[in-house]
Amino acid sequence: MNFSTLTSQFGALTFDGLVLGAIYALVALGYTLVYGVLRLINFAHSEIFMLGTFGALLSAHAIGLNAESAPRSGLALIGTFLLVTIVAMAISGLAAVLLERIAYRGLRRRGAGRLTVLISAIGASLFLQEAVALWRGRNYETFPRFLEKEVWFTLFGADIRSDKVLILVSAALMMIALERFVSVTRLGRGIRAVAQNQDTSVLMGVNIDRVVTLTFLIGGLMAGFAGSLNQVYFEQTRFSIGIVLGVKAFTAAVLGGIGNLRGALLGGLVLGVVESYGAAIFGGSWKDVVAFVILVLVLMFRPSGLLGETLQKARA
Amino acid sequence: MKYLSSVTDAVGDRWRELPKATQRLLTVIFIAGIAVLPMVQIPLLDTPQTDFPSLLFDKIGLYVLMGIGLNVVVGKAGLLDLGYVAFFAIGGYTMAQIGTLLHWSFWLILPLGVVIAMSAGAILGLPTLRLRGDYLAIVTLGFGEIIRITAVNVDWLGANRGVPNIPWPAAIGPLNFEDILNPKPFYWVLLALIILVIWLLKRIDRSRVGRAWEAIREDEDAAELMGVQTLKFKLWAFSIGAGIGGMGGVLFASKVGFISPDNFPLTLSVMFLAIVVLGGSGNIPGVILGALAISYIPERLRGFSEYRVLLFGAALVIMMNLRPQGLLPRRIRGKVI
Amino acid sequence: MPNESTLLEFKNVTMRFGGVTALSDVDISVGKGEIAALIGPNGAGKTTVFNIVTGVYQPTQGEVRFKGESIVGKKRSEITRMGLARTFQNIRLFAEMTALENVLVGADAHSKSSVPGAILTLPRKRREEREAHERANELMSFMGISKQAHLLAKGLPYGDQRRLEICRALATNPEVLLLDEPAAGFNPVEKEILGEQIRAIRDRGYTVLLIEHDMSLVMGISDRVMVLDFGTKIADEIPSEIQRDPRVIAAYLGVPVDAS
Repeated sequence: MNFSTLTSQFGALTFDGLVLGAIYALVALGYTLVYGVLRLINFAHSEIFMLGTFGALLSAHAIGLNAESAPRSGLALIGTFLLVTIVAMAISGLAAVLLERIAYRGLRRRGAGRLTVLISAIGASLFLQEAVALWRGRNYETFPRFLEKEVWFTLFGADIRSDKVLILVSAALMMIALERFVSVTRLGRGIRAVAQNQDTSVLMGVNIDRVVTLTFLIGGLMAGFAGSLNQVYFEQTRFSIGIVLGVKAFTAAVLGGIGNLRGALLGGLVLGVVESYGAAIFGGSWKDVVAFVILVLVLMFRPSGLLGETLQKARA
Repeated sequence: MKYLSSVTDAVGDRWRELPKATQRLLTVIFIAGIAVLPMVQIPLLDTPQTDFPSLLFDKIGLYVLMGIGLNVVVGKAGLLDLGYVAFFAIGGYTMAQIGTLLHWSFWLILPLGVVIAMSAGAILGLPTLRLRGDYLAIVTLGFGEIIRITAVNVDWLGANRGVPNIPWPAAIGPLNFEDILNPKPFYWVLLALIILVIWLLKRIDRSRVGRAWEAIREDEDAAELMGVQTLKFKLWAFSIGAGIGGMGGVLFASKVGFISPDNFPLTLSVMFLAIVVLGGSGNIPGVILGALAISYIPERLRGFSEYRVLLFGAALVIMMNLRPQGLLPRRIRGKVI
Repeated sequence: MPNESTLLEFKNVTMRFGGVTALSDVDISVGKGEIAALIGPNGAGKTTVFNIVTGVYQPTQGEVRFKGESIVGKKRSEITRMGLARTFQNIRLFAEMTALENVLVGADAHSKSSVPGAILTLPRKRREEREAHERANELMSFMGISKQAHLLAKGLPYGDQRRLEICRALATNPEVLLLDEPAAGFNPVEKEILGEQIRAIRDRGYTVLLIEHDMSLVMGISDRVMVLDFGTKIADEIPSEIQRDPRVIAAYLGVPVDAS
């Protein structure tokens, strides 16, 4: 154990943890939304994220982006980021909707048990992983850098770097947009209504199938967005990248209170920061263990999470 | 699928209608037949990579044992364990460490490995089994990875290099385990252990414990309101399953003589789960059938083995939608007396 | 009114879910050996009472006592083993188990043997197993469903499923049996028989607390009727008085009773 790193680099660790946490939070939103509406853990959500990273990768290839091409700036930079991100979101969103159609809808209509649904989800998860592994191989593929990773200034020992700022700012904008959508629009109200009481919502004329599709779509879009950010930050991906990240994002959702949108945000950030500290104390190879231990501790002592469960009560 | 299931259903019915004595006799003949399997050379059964007798221990026999163990957790009590490989690894490392460092006999380490794995199951289960079932799935998934990461990171456990020179069991009578090319002794030990485990599980199954497990699987809240101490019985199921997994790990480590974290990947947990689900959660013949399918078919179809996980994933989705009860369902109707 | 023979007692119980008050300041008592009925319009809080008694919900305020001992915060399985067992409004049998096994699960409530007992076939395990079977068989013939003992619960006709639920609850050997709409979906003849059976259950020494919508059944068998309306108790009298109680009539006029 090594606490000196933690104290000497506290600012940097915190900042990096927040960046990581923003990605966790975006993926956690998908778990939380689906759980809020269907009371089901979308086990294959980690693969939706994984597909997003490949969406970003392939679109970058498609526009001829490579490591040698000169770092872009200004409009070209923004355009590249938007394009790559939108493709990632589109692929993840589409995949999430298809996933719901194929792996969940029939079972939901039949009122199948949890175990059945979960196994179907695991099947879908394996299928997606292997499909990508067979198609792209099992090794990491590098994502071409288009944003120069430039340190602008240092604050409390933290390097305020361009890519990290991009991740934090764009993730924040995305989450504000989502919160507005769910709390203001009619479709968002549908989601909250179904989350509160499915039977009543049907009686009130809410189309459950449409709400469920929408929920998966939003979760997928967020995961795709996270996939793109993950590429910008870590610059590599492969078929199995979703597994550990999925467990962590799920941990974030549970930590914040599953079913609760703001909880997912808070849980993601807290988890990212704690993991960053944990890696400093115990060494980087143990960082995946930190998230898991947190999950077990939360489940033991506060299973409803920091902000409590349920989608309808959180005004987000 | 429809056709296959009607055949398996019919076989199950016929079996249940047989008199007890006939059932016993057939079981003895069946076991004897299984025991002499490695003595007979059936070239037809050899696979491109391995001859059939070698395959009987690893993977077929081991998969049967692991399937039976996980079935207690998933099939009987309805608890979804996605990290069953963790207990296999705990058994394996118990054998490896105690065998190489303390030079204990395999025959002592075997029960010790079971006890350690059971304790690990209880320690993991106690905080998590109180919670909703789907949380358990994620926690166990994480646990499986943690055990592997620990093995990778802890130098004392051999880290990525693994642990070589794991001792084989001391000879018992004519059974000598020293000859690596002779798979028979290990196979017979494994077979004996499988029979012992099945026998013990049958006893538990026919008691209130078996009923409590089924009740929990069917409707946990209702079970608790009928006086079933759900946590206690879930813990039993979880740790019994863990113990059987540990047993498999001890056997595996002693047989192969060398283990490393690569022997315990996440996908192995998924394969074990596949055995249980494919066979029909809850009944032992189904699990054995599932283990045969999962262990043998991919070896046979080496050409397809690249696609096996893909096909398997698709099969799970299709099966849950069309025949969630598995190949050999638990029970179609009650026993007719 | 509470006296020495009071078994189950609610004192000023309030139950809130978020902003909704399901029960407000409710007093209920059930005396030994009586058949007490709990009636009221839909949503009046009847099933909430059952859920509080059996430990599914913890009351927001107030006390719940069984034989003088507070049962708030106790584990559900423990409450059942103390002597309070229930049936469910929407049948919740163990669908994939046989009828007999369903009843055995109830009868197991008082068994102490566990895995070691089962593996070693200890004498205590054998005795408990025998007693559980005896009790289960006896109860099934008492409720008239012994013929179905070896059918899967999900394969039983609807009425037998309801009767099986009563068997399963009785198998736990409760002092108070809580029946949640046991006659739902029954035809008049079946209701008649059920009424007789509930009386017979009482005559065996069980105390019964009954939630039921069917007024003829309630009035026919109950010793005392409590009426809930919007989470408050508005009457607690013998059946003949209830029918004349203006508050009860008012409560039922606004909201039609779904008397079937």
